[in-house]
Parts: sequence; C-alpha cells; structure tokens
Amino acid sequence: MPLESGPDRVAQGVARMVGAIVAYSRWPESGPVLDICLAGRATYAARLKDMVLSNGVLARVTDLAGGVIPATGGCDLLYIGAMDPAALRLLLASAYSRPVLTMAEDDPDCRGGTMVCLLFQPGTLSFRLNIDAVSRSTVRIDPRVLRLSKGGY
Amino acid sequence: MSDRPDTPAPALGPASPPLPTLHRILSRLHWRLALFAVMLAGLSLTATGAMVIRDYAGRNLGLVAKTVAYTVEPAILFRDAGAMRTGIATVAGGEGVRAVEVRSNSGALLLHWQRADAGTQGGLADVAGRLLWPHPAVALVGPAERRIGEVRVFGDARGIGGYVLSGALIALLCLALTAIATHLLARRLQRAVTQPLGDIARITHAVRAERDFERRVPPSGIAEIHRLGQDFNALLAELHTWHRAITSENRALVQQANHDGLTALGNRTMFEQRLAEAVDGARAQGEGFALLYLDANRFKQVNDRYGHDAGDVMLAVIAARLRVSIRPGDHAFRLGGDEFAILIAPGSGRAEVAAVVDRINSHMTQPIMLPSGDSIAASLSIGQALFPDDGDDPRDLVRQADLAMYAVKQGRSRSGSLADSPGADPIP
Repeated sequence: MPLESGPDRVAQGVARMVGAIVAYSRWPESGPVLDICLAGRATYAARLKDMVLSNGVLARVTDLAGGVIPATGGCDLLYIGAMDPAALRLLLASAYSRPVLTMAEDDPDCRGGTMVCLLFQPGTLSFRLNIDAVSRSTVRIDPRVLRLSKGGY
Repeated sequence: MSDRPDTPAPALGPASPPLPTLHRILSRLHWRLALFAVMLAGLSLTATGAMVIRDYAGRNLGLVAKTVAYTVEPAILFRDAGAMRTGIATVAGGEGVRAVEVRSNSGALLLHWQRADAGTQGGLADVAGRLLWPHPAVALVGPAERRIGEVRVFGDARGIGGYVLSGALIALLCLALTAIATHLLARRLQRAVTQPLGDIARITHAVRAERDFERRVPPSGIAEIHRLGQDFNALLAELHTWHRAITSENRALVQQANHDGLTALGNRTMFEQRLAEAVDGARAQGEGFALLYLDANRFKQVNDRYGHDAGDVMLAVIAARLRVSIRPGDHAFRLGGDEFAILIAPGSGRAEVAAVVDRINSHMTQPIMLPSGDSIAASLSIGQALFPDDGDDPRDLVRQADLAMYAVKQGRSRSGSLADSPGADPIP
C-alpha cells in the first residue's frame, strides 16, 4: 500500500491497512463496535481510533493495562507495538482460543506468533501473515488477503 | 423457272457458336446447383456458428469480469497494483480477452491491463473485436453495500475469426469435392442419355450410307429414348418393306420394258442395247460374234386364215423353239410382228453359227398345233451377219442380216414352197 503525503502519513497508512484487513476478517460474533486493544509501545497507532469501517462499525481503542487480555475479554483486535518477548508470549497466551485478531507492528519476520505483521518500507506499507497463527485463530481472514501478503502466494 | 440455285436447309451460320453438348449442360446445371447448395449451407452454418460463438464469448467475458472483480477486490482496497495485475493475468490470460480496466467508484482508472500480444496480431482482429462487442463486460467490485469500483473486460475476435476461417476452408473443400462429384455424375448421366441417342444416330447413318435396312436400334434404359428407338425400328422395318417392294416393282417394270409380252423374249429396245454392247465388247476383246435375223414365212396368211389367236400361238411356239435351239451364251429377241433376232455369243465361228441355224430348222420341221385343233407347218427365213466380216457397226450388221434374210425369203417365194414339210396343209 503506498503511503500518501502528510505529516503522519505512516499512521494514516497503518489505519487504512488495518481497516482493510478488518474488512476481510470475520469474527464469530460481531457488534457495532470494534474493540482495539493496544499493547506494548505502539508507534503508529495514533489514527486507529479514526478508522471508518464497513457497515458503520466504529473503532474503540483502549490501552491494555496489565499486559494481558482480561478474562472477560473485550478485545477484538490486539495491536502490539514493541514488547519484550516474555511479555509478548504471556499476552499471546491470553489471546489464545479467543476471537482476537493479533497484529504486530514491530515483527518483520512475523515469528512472534501474531497473525498479522506490518512491514514498513520507504513510501509503502505492506504486511505479512503468520499462516500458522491465522489457521489456529477463530477469526477468519478472507483467503484473498493471503495473496496480498508478503511471502504469500 | 428459278434462276437461283437450290438453297440448302437452314443451318447455323458461321457466326453463331456451336451448340453445347449434353455433358456441358448437365455439368453446368449440377455445378450451379452444387455451388448454390454448398454456399447456402456454408454461409448459414458459419453465420449461425459465429453468432453462437459470439454469444458464448460474450458470456465468457462476463464471467471473466466477475472473476477478476472477485480476485482484485482486496487488491483495490489495499491499493496493490502488482496484485491486481497478477490476479487479472491468471484469470484473463487465456483466449478471448483483449484488455481489462479496473476503475474506482468515481470512475478513475486504477489499472489498464492488455493482452501481451495484442498489438502484433494486427488491426483486423482488433477492429472485429470492437465491432462484435462494442461495450465491455462490466462487473462491480465488492458487495452492494461496499462498492469499491468496477472491472471492465474488452473481448477480441480471435476465436470467432478462427472459426469463420475454418468454416470458409471447409466450405471450399466441400465445394471442390462436390465439383468432382458433379463432374462424374454429369458424365454418367450424359452417357446414359447420349449413348442410346448416339446409337440411333449411328444406325441412321448406316441406313443412309450403306442402304442397310436390316439394322435395328438396340434397346435403351431410358423410357422416352426406348420408345423413340422402338418407333424408329418400326419405321426402319416399314422402310425395308417398302424398299423391297419398290425394288421388285422396278425389276418387274424393267422386265416389262425390255421384254416382249407374248413370247417373253427381249424386245427391240433390248436387242438394240445388247447389239451395241456386243459390238463394243467384240471390238474391245477382239473377238467376233454373229447376228441372225429371222422371219416367219407366210405369217400373214396364217393370221388371216386362222385368226389372230392362232398367229399368237404360232409366234409363241417359234419363240420357244428358238430358245431351245440357242446355247446359253446366245440371246433371242422378238423385234416385232413376225421378226426375230438372235445374237450369237462372241468367240463363235461360222461353224457354230451354222450349227445353230441347223438346230432351228430341224426344230421348225415339226408342225405347230393351233388351239382350234388344226396343225400347220411353219418355217423361218434366216439371214446372218458376222462381226467384223460383214460390218463393224450395229447398223451395218443389221442391214446385212436383213438383206440376207430378205434374199432367202425372195428365193423361197420364187422357187415355191421350198421349206414346206410333207403332210402339212400347204398354203396357196
């Protein structure tokens, strides 16, 4: 995805990309609000709250205090910034078997265990999918998106 | 009296072209028919086929548009031109698609994809494609509530072009095959019709040229020609009969013209003819022949005394006796009245002539029985002339023989009834 011009163009790009991925993802239960939980030190998550999603769904961005998803849930999408690996593992363990779309900002090789990993290049923004994580998740991503991922087919 | 020569029967002048043969007429007819049939079939099949293919191709374009729309939907959203291009190439890379356009909701062109070899195949397929599908197949990208853009697919005419071309080639091949077939068929038909006609023509010619009235036309396999042949044969049979009758009538007439009715000997005409022939023949061969003139003595008296019937009987009997007296090569004639002539065959000398005369005289010693019951004695005065001794010309010979006969006759009348045989009724 090419980045447009502007002061926070990367954040804009990230918001658009997340919006696009969300458009092709299916949660078992979907409501009028998409709960986005931020974890770690997210650099480009500034615009996530302004996302316009299809069907008029709104995005609600909250910081995940405690570093893990609470037992009551409440996270549809987990946006993970820079984080130390042990904490990341804990976080992902809490997301396991919950319908959460995990997305990493700082994992270019996508080995950390998140489903989607954003890739930042000068002028363009792309992503990589962890097929293993995607297949184990209860959130279904449209297979067409696989074609668009780096390293996808 | 016409001073113009006889004009021949009206015929085609030198300027008009020769008449076409039956073979030519038949094969022209067959060829035109076959051409019409093949063209009709070929054109209608090709046209129908082309239309059907166009419909299917159009549907195919619609499917391609739908598939491309499905495939590029996320790519549009993700603004990934490379993915769009790959997606289009896998779907539209086959036959039938000239170009694909991806447009955004507002109509702005996002991507234009063209078939790799679009330019090289030439403008004809391109133009044809534009004519066949003036409007592209359009598919909307994204679900109704989330319209992202549209895909336009333009078709090319290569498939149809190939079909039409192969259709035309097959039609030409069929035309060639039917041309051969019609030629053969025409020849067979022509033979079946013209052969019996040729037979009739041949027989006609033979009858005319060789006067062979026994020839008949063979039967034919075609009804009309067979009937013609039958009628022709009947005509020939009638002609044959007529010809025979005429010929025999002619012979009878010739016989009548040349022979004496009473005695059946040749008449004067025939005698003169034969004499001339004998003179010519003798001159050519270098042989001699003899001419005898004979006269029945006192014929007039018999006629007056016993009647004309008796006279006739006398002449008939004399003629018969002459006939038996002469040899096969000699000819006897009755010149009229009571005058007879005999032509002795060439190569005979005086001795043979004398022998003939003796035979005649010895036969004449017998009396003649008349129908009334009376019996009379008759005798002949005989004069002879020899070729070439007494003359080398028919007139001279005749005069000589006549004179000789007259001399005998005179001598007889002067010296009384010299030749009267005893026992017969003497004529005073």
